[in-house]
Amino acid sequence: MPHMDTEFGTRRRRPHVIAAVVALAGAIAAAVVVSAGATAARSAGSLTIADVAPFTGADAALGPTYLVACDAASNAINKAGGVDGSQLSCKSVDTKGDPADAVPAVRQLFATTSNLALVIGLTSDEAAAVVPVINAQKTVAFGMTGQSEFDHIHFPYFYRLVPADLAESYAMVAIAHFKKHYKRVALAFGNDIGSQTFVGPAIASIKKAHMTLAANETLDLHATTFRTEAAKVIASHPDVILTEALGPAEGAFLSEVKQQNGGKMIPVIGTSAAISPDWYKSVAAAVGASTLSQNFLADNLVIDTSGPAYKAFKSAIFAEKGKVGSTGSFATYLTAPGAVHLYDGINLAALAMVAAKSTKPSDYRAYLEKVATGKVVVHTFAAGLAALRKNQTIAYVGPGGPTRFNSYNESNGIFQIDAYTSSGQVKVLGNLPNAWLAAVR
Amino acid sequence: MSYYLTTLLVYGGVDVIACLGLSQQFGIAGVTNFAFIIFQAAGAYAAAVLSLPPDSANGAFQTYVGGWQLPFPLPWLGAAVAGGLLALPFSILVGRRLRGDFAAVGLLVTAVMVNLLVTNYRPFLNGDAGLALVPAPLSNHFDPLSTRYQWGYGAVAVLLALLVYLFLRRVTESPWGRTLRAMREDDVVADSLGKNLRSLRTSALVLGGAIAGLSGGVLVGFISLWDPAAWSFAESIVLFAAVIIGGLGNHTGAALGAIVVPLGFLEATRYIPTNFGRPGLVPALQWVAVGVLIVLFLWFRPQGILPERRRRLAGLAEAATPAPAAVPAVALTGRGGSAAAVATGPRPSARSGEVVLEARGLGRSFDGVRAVDGVDVAFAAGQLTGLIGPNGAGKSTLLAMLAGTLPPTEGSIVYRGRDITRLPAYRRARLGIVRTFQLASEFRRLTVLENLLTAIPGQRGDSFTGALLGRRYWGAQEKAAIARAEATLDRFGLAELADLYAGELSGGQRRLVEIMRALMTDPDVLLLDEPMAGVHPLLAHQIGTLLLQLCADGMTIVMVEHELGIMDEFADPVVVMAEGRVLAEGTMASLRSHAEVVEAYLVG
Amino acid sequence: MSVFVSSIAFGLVAASVLAIASVGFTLQFAVTNVLNLAFAAVMTASAFVAYWFNERGVSIWIATLAAAATGVVLSVFLNRAVYGPFRRRRTTPIGIVIVALGMTLIIEFGTQAIAGPTNVSYRMSQGRTLALGSFRLTLAELAIILLSVVLMLAVHVLIRFTRLGKAMRATASNENLARNSGIRTERIVTITWVISGALCGIAGAVFGMDAGTFGATSTDLFLVLILAAVFLGGPGEPYGAMLGALVIGLGTEISAAVFVSDYKDVIAFVVLLAMLAVRPTGLLGART
Repeated sequence: MPHMDTEFGTRRRRPHVIAAVVALAGAIAAAVVVSAGATAARSAGSLTIADVAPFTGADAALGPTYLVACDAASNAINKAGGVDGSQLSCKSVDTKGDPADAVPAVRQLFATTSNLALVIGLTSDEAAAVVPVINAQKTVAFGMTGQSEFDHIHFPYFYRLVPADLAESYAMVAIAHFKKHYKRVALAFGNDIGSQTFVGPAIASIKKAHMTLAANETLDLHATTFRTEAAKVIASHPDVILTEALGPAEGAFLSEVKQQNGGKMIPVIGTSAAISPDWYKSVAAAVGASTLSQNFLADNLVIDTSGPAYKAFKSAIFAEKGKVGSTGSFATYLTAPGAVHLYDGINLAALAMVAAKSTKPSDYRAYLEKVATGKVVVHTFAAGLAALRKNQTIAYVGPGGPTRFNSYNESNGIFQIDAYTSSGQVKVLGNLPNAWLAAVR
Repeated sequence: MSYYLTTLLVYGGVDVIACLGLSQQFGIAGVTNFAFIIFQAAGAYAAAVLSLPPDSANGAFQTYVGGWQLPFPLPWLGAAVAGGLLALPFSILVGRRLRGDFAAVGLLVTAVMVNLLVTNYRPFLNGDAGLALVPAPLSNHFDPLSTRYQWGYGAVAVLLALLVYLFLRRVTESPWGRTLRAMREDDVVADSLGKNLRSLRTSALVLGGAIAGLSGGVLVGFISLWDPAAWSFAESIVLFAAVIIGGLGNHTGAALGAIVVPLGFLEATRYIPTNFGRPGLVPALQWVAVGVLIVLFLWFRPQGILPERRRRLAGLAEAATPAPAAVPAVALTGRGGSAAAVATGPRPSARSGEVVLEARGLGRSFDGVRAVDGVDVAFAAGQLTGLIGPNGAGKSTLLAMLAGTLPPTEGSIVYRGRDITRLPAYRRARLGIVRTFQLASEFRRLTVLENLLTAIPGQRGDSFTGALLGRRYWGAQEKAAIARAEATLDRFGLAELADLYAGELSGGQRRLVEIMRALMTDPDVLLLDEPMAGVHPLLAHQIGTLLLQLCADGMTIVMVEHELGIMDEFADPVVVMAEGRVLAEGTMASLRSHAEVVEAYLVG
Repeated sequence: MSVFVSSIAFGLVAASVLAIASVGFTLQFAVTNVLNLAFAAVMTASAFVAYWFNERGVSIWIATLAAAATGVVLSVFLNRAVYGPFRRRRTTPIGIVIVALGMTLIIEFGTQAIAGPTNVSYRMSQGRTLALGSFRLTLAELAIILLSVVLMLAVHVLIRFTRLGKAMRATASNENLARNSGIRTERIVTITWVISGALCGIAGAVFGMDAGTFGATSTDLFLVLILAAVFLGGPGEPYGAMLGALVIGLGTEISAAVFVSDYKDVIAFVVLLAMLAVRPTGLLGART
């Protein structure tokens, strides 16, 4: 116990300390009330989109990625006149990757944002805790989590823009088997939520494809060296390593593998999380850009790399360059699933609001499906707005391709195979045929 | 809006409950449990696995133990039980006589390790993903997301916090609570006064752990998800900061700290505009601010915003009989059956001169140095044996071994025919062998009266169950004890110091308090280590006279002293030690003519 | 079999990094009786300073000097401005530990506030891999081992053969007696913190080299390894720290090879707890 030598006996009551404390408590209460009230006084004519994701902690790269997409989409929409004259703006809500922090953060969001039109983000770190809250508030949310909790649970306001992690596992195995004809597969996944959910399905589908599981190493994301794990993987003589280990672990692990394998990299297949500027920067620095370009493939949801939708998307993203601190090649945002699909989601939501003639989620929710499956194909918000004004039904097809939600509000995307060029650009090698996926499921 | 308020209520309730649990462990009992957050986590996990369906449900995407789908309130009870049970293995770590900061480090490391194990071993509690879709209490009767339910939950959380607060107040404002605080102040001394440290620390840990577990159960029912990210070691630091800032040793302070730090500070920073600086700046600065707060408070106001209250007990005893001007010495020790006596077990009596305590071939080595070497000495009832010798002769070491605060490396100690060599200090104290210490060892942040009261053995309120039963159970006895203590203080003319903190007294006064405190234990053998050091000669004389009176009533006293005048006047026989061995024994007069002794020690 | 042999090589690298840090930590404990839990945070800050220079083209081996300087400045600051005043006030060891934790938060998250939450890597080449059967080391790893050996030898020479070393040992064993014998203990303490601060800074840079990629919170777990090594050898015993680092470094890597690699750090925890429970003075410390 710290000795409190100086404070015996004499009742040294410090009234100003007590007063300060009371004032602080009062200030907090006041802030809560005031900001709640203040939102009512906000100028009509603005809408908020909230990016609820980790901005600190192990997954700190995710929040900013989604924010870039949000800004890009909103600015493009605002340029086209906004939604019925209302301008969109983006707000970030840091969940810190911890559900106990995420819940109050989200509740505070609802308390202080009366013009909240949409929520985006929602990774596997916090989704299971906050989606029920968002759903209860009848706010539409587009989420980026592939975790299995949501495969069969009904949340009418929650839409998932990435396929289940299950499906990605199958895609990775399908690439290994059908595209590259590998025989021995090693698994090296991090011990966090997102990565661990891949392992089980991967093992099952490896078996189904009659390949051999050579090794299965778990990478502790808190550790800083992975020499022994790399040694074990190499000792099992795999043809390919399937991996996802977010944070510094991926780069550390892969560089060890290269080093111990006599400077030669073993081919690697990563998940869609690998298609992000942060990931590229970290791993390219660790193993070398040319090595990465020759030995790395990733599965990803299909993304256009040409065409009018892509052009609009590209200019919207690049308009953000310089405004947002980027941590790598800005162009990688063009293929980052977090950026692409959320951009599409925001456009969909905006078009739905126009079609429903209301910005309330409970009103426009029904129109989300409608604006994706109408007659006239449009590739930007501006084009869709024009068509809607002419009373036409539209089908929005953005850079992420056509959006189809199943009964659980999950998008059944098609997969493509991505690789990196030696300058860090993403190269699409082709789509993954459904037959391949079916064979390893 | 109301959702946010209910969130604040629930989180506030949970934080207050957690901080109260920590306050009990750290603030009251002085156990620095850096692994505290694990107890909350255990409670949350327990509540989760008790209320979840078997792990094959919901598509079998989680693996965990349990899954018994028990209805409310069983999961919350289970949470508290889990937190309490987890404390038992931990008490092994704190039970050892380990330096405070070493033990704390061990606990810190344990917290990190447990988090790692749970994260990496998936089948136990679903690893890093944690447990999701935890059903809210009574969710099959109410819609958990309805406003009514949310407010209800908030109200329950606040109510529980209040109940825990009242419960802890009851348990802490009792003789048992006083004993815990004494242990916090100086555990070695508490040990020497008959307090079973291991059992006390275990109780404090179990109690605090159960409360922490409860807080976890309440939280997980609200957010329906619990994973290792929610209980990293850093969360323990936040709770410690809360308790320190709010007020150490004060449950009201801990509650205040809970509202100011985890709830107030962390929630308030959410209002800082999110585009302030680059992303990640505000959370990093938040942690820096917590660190700064901790250091600043520990420096400028270590007692916190609401310091520990002084317990004023003087005059609480009904003055049934006015204290006589000169209380006979025997009444001071509680023997003699006076009305003011506290009931104790019968003390064995001995004929004067009969050997009561004996050291046989006793020895103690430190790093190869023989501090005490083959000592044979016997102490008889009714005698005040003096122990003298030059510095480093081994006197204090011998005393410590006799009292049990130091284990011998060889030899044995026999008390009334019974070998007590292996008996720990607190057991010896309960037998009647009590010591005082050379260095100041009063309980500094207990009042003088409390110092005396802690020593009285056999108090009904000095156990957890006793404390729980409340004032009705132990009140009468406490009043009698206060009367006896006040009488003692009066005897030494220190009555007006009763409600002062013992740490505020002068050196001589503190010595007296120690002696009085030792007397409160009803000792059979009193081992005094330089009791007259720094005491005014007049007072020393008074004490000496008192000691002789006690001997006349059958007590055995061994006194180490440097003042040879005191020895001349009061001690007979006197034992001389030098270099770890007994040189001679006899009256002072005979020793002065003993050549060896003179050479070794006496300067005329 | 080959994985086992190569894990010995990795263990030596891990032990080398750990040794530099552990010796620094234990020296601080020896002369001030304080468990400086902010040690790992100072390592982090030093590692980032080296990164700052490295980003601007300085070779990481030279930038390590900047890291050492940072370590010195922060460590001396900690001792004189923080721990010193609290110790003079007779704060209990537990109180000091809480202060140390507060300082850890300030230094670690202060670094993160300045440098950002993303992870960084040093620009350095690993060099060729030298292999003797399954025993493989890159040149950089070999350099780390050599650097560590040199520093350990320097510490050995300092403690055993110099007057300063004698004064340090005297101050560590009994400060009052040392002062009464004419040793300027105040100065000795500061010098010890300078030396151990330099070791701390170098350890930070070497940690960054070893880890490949690191962030502001990467050293949190490393602190536990330091504590394990220090308590294994005995707190305050420099040779104990070296021994402890060797055992922990080899132990964690070999156990990762032989058992499951998920739990490799658990070995360190178990060792630490066992030592605290059974023999807190360590293998080389005096039995009390």
